[in-house]
Amino acid sequence: MVNRINTVAVLGASGTIGSLSGGLMAQNGLKVYFLSRTKEGAERGLQRAIAQARSETIAQNIVCGDYEHLLSRAVDEADWVVEAITEDAGIKQHMHEQVEPYIKPQTIISSTTSSLPLSSLVQGRSKEFKKHFLSTHFYNPPGRMPACEITGIDDTDPEIIELMQQFLAKRLRRVVIRVKNVAAFAGNRIAFVLFSRITSLAREFGVETMDYLIGPYTGRLMPPLATLDLVGIDIHKAIVDSLNANTNDAMHNWLAVPGYINTMIQKNLLGNKTKGGFYKKLESGKYVFLDPVSCNYGPAIEPHMAFVEQAKHLIRMARYKEAFEAILSARGREADIVKDILCAYVAYSYSLVGQVTDSKMGIEGIDKVMSYGFHWAAPSVIVDMLGGSQAAVGLLRERKLEVPQALQDDLKSGFRITNSGKYFVAK
Amino acid sequence: MKDEAVYILGGYQTDFARNWARENKHIAAMMREAYEGSIEATKLEPSNIRAAFVGNFAAELYCMQGHLGAFFVDFDPRFVGLPTMRFENACAASAVAALSAMAHIQAGIYDLICLIGVEQMKTADPAKGGEYLGTAAWYEKECQGIEFPFPKLFGQLGDEYDKRYGLDDRHLAKIADINYTNARNNPNAQTRDWFMSFEHACTVSKYNTAIGGRIKVTDCSQVTDGAVCLYIASKNYASKYAARHGLKIEEIPRILGWGHTTAPIEFAKKVADSADDQYILPMTRKAITDAYERAGIADCWQLDVIETHDCFTTSEYMAIDHFGLTQPGESYRAIEEGVIEMGGKLPINPSGGLIGCGHPVGATGARQLLDAYKQITGTAGDYQVPNAKKVATLNIGGTATTNVCFIVGVRS
Repeated sequence: MVNRINTVAVLGASGTIGSLSGGLMAQNGLKVYFLSRTKEGAERGLQRAIAQARSETIAQNIVCGDYEHLLSRAVDEADWVVEAITEDAGIKQHMHEQVEPYIKPQTIISSTTSSLPLSSLVQGRSKEFKKHFLSTHFYNPPGRMPACEITGIDDTDPEIIELMQQFLAKRLRRVVIRVKNVAAFAGNRIAFVLFSRITSLAREFGVETMDYLIGPYTGRLMPPLATLDLVGIDIHKAIVDSLNANTNDAMHNWLAVPGYINTMIQKNLLGNKTKGGFYKKLESGKYVFLDPVSCNYGPAIEPHMAFVEQAKHLIRMARYKEAFEAILSARGREADIVKDILCAYVAYSYSLVGQVTDSKMGIEGIDKVMSYGFHWAAPSVIVDMLGGSQAAVGLLRERKLEVPQALQDDLKSGFRITNSGKYFVAK
Repeated sequence: MKDEAVYILGGYQTDFARNWARENKHIAAMMREAYEGSIEATKLEPSNIRAAFVGNFAAELYCMQGHLGAFFVDFDPRFVGLPTMRFENACAASAVAALSAMAHIQAGIYDLICLIGVEQMKTADPAKGGEYLGTAAWYEKECQGIEFPFPKLFGQLGDEYDKRYGLDDRHLAKIADINYTNARNNPNAQTRDWFMSFEHACTVSKYNTAIGGRIKVTDCSQVTDGAVCLYIASKNYASKYAARHGLKIEEIPRILGWGHTTAPIEFAKKVADSADDQYILPMTRKAITDAYERAGIADCWQLDVIETHDCFTTSEYMAIDHFGLTQPGESYRAIEEGVIEMGGKLPINPSGGLIGCGHPVGATGARQLLDAYKQITGTAGDYQVPNAKKVATLNIGGTATTNVCFIVGVRS
């Protein structure tokens, strides 16, 4: 069945996700149309795809062009149309309208969005179009982050979801996570609630201290505010705003966007893409850090706390559980922040079992998306580090966090995150 | 020589795609993860371990750390006092450690030895790492002042084939393609998610530069961080282990045969010495035939799988005829006929080998033995060769200076 998809049209191939996910398709032998507003844009995407594959040979599977000249031919030929254009519901609706006349009866159409209400993107489209429409949410960069969340709308044919799950796993080597059609799906919903909380705490403790406290040693590839510089502060705000508008759960009060974030956006301090966000790299190679109060940059203060350093040392020697014992036994406001964030991550992740993923899978889907989409230690791995599910329940109760039933029941499927040590970085 | 049966009880391989320097981890962390994973995999009782042997090539250079065996006693308070040893034989370090473990078992000194192969290589930039690897050859004569000396030396192996028998580089490209293809099925392989195609392997380009004569980037094994931990046991211990785990002793893989030779360290001398020999590397051939003889097998066709030392495509090309899959100089036949591919008559490197799975130098010999164990016990997952009962491993050090071949299997 998965062999019925051989030609793909990528709309928005000048962008990162369009070009790199399209590149993966070309790497795996599919014929891929790279479409953009201009042919030059599509060709820039091609260069990005070549760099990802580290081979010019994939170019033979890719045809570049603009919408005006190539859209009809590409969509007509495609078995799958991937829409990866600007995150704007109106623009996406318009694109789907333009595509509809050319699609074949069995053509699959997917959007790469996770933050926009999926149904709104196909308003006005035919029943047949909607039947073949779903979201395929690739994580960035797809060459390194194999997670892909998929879900449909009410009209989507379940067989199409099943087919795409098989196809993405077998042909594109994705770790596919079936999610429910809810705002931000699983991964972004969990991560951006935590990011949001950390941006609030940064106002009080400072950018450098927050990234030091919730650094890679707590089970992530990058510190959280450095991650937001990579994501883009404007994108961060858009996702948090969307979560604010479309969710209502126990963590809703963490979704406040501090005023300084708006100032950052006004001052065009959007992160790496504007060469300044929470961090700014000087010509000397040194970094200065945003002061959230003044929105000016100040020199590094190089925080140093005994429990953090001890935990890092233990992680450097692969003594992971002892590192977490050091964190848990530490006292003081800063240690409490680390414990609070870790416990909130566990509490929130387990609370979403059944809400964003199928309850039958237990924590598996959420574990997968956090590991393979964010390169964070999965919630179940953090539970193990905290001493197991009962110990974690105790820690949540101490913090007056609601204890999710899934954690109490310690629901697990046969799946297990392996090599979990790699998620704890001694930095 | 004693002929006591020596068994392999399984173990654990770290994910070879990891970059432990980026994780800011100490080399002992890699050993610890491999050890802890091995206990979980084998369900062995740690207090039964009588000694720990560590194979490693150059931690002093890559990590400024020697005396690796000593770190083992840090993994469990009960290990303080255990005998530990570190073995260095270039890329054959952990195969030589395994030979020594086997000898200690056969001598009746220990009945259960923990064997760890480990290398951390991503601490060095490519040029410096290439220079470190040069110490596996005759550094002053063959490597000093030469950028990436090993690709050049193994390029010369290809040149020698070309001179004596003719060599089409597309056959080398096919070897690379097969190893990458196999690696895609191995969840611990370094290149499992990398793009590769026969066409790319044939092409010299910005992303596939020639770095040593006819050797291109795609002809090379990887710079890899990795550790492997496995267990070598006496028949007495293996019998008790089998009984505890509901197994039959006959089902547990054992070392059926082995060969171990040393050729002159200088590559040019090796080639000059073999001028009148049908095999370009006769000491490699001898290690293989010694292993066949000790295992009581007539030829390679009594094997089900080979895990060979493809540090470069030329070394696998050499292994094909030296194992006897073809007449000397005719390795291309086995490649063209699909003999060495998964599903072929005698698959080579289902794991992906050093090119696909990765080559943490001092861990490779142990990795090959663990993969042999997995194949024989039917636990190799998506890279399983059906009904594999006998597996050969070939681990070479330097330019095929140290040669170690094991035949691992169950008696049919």
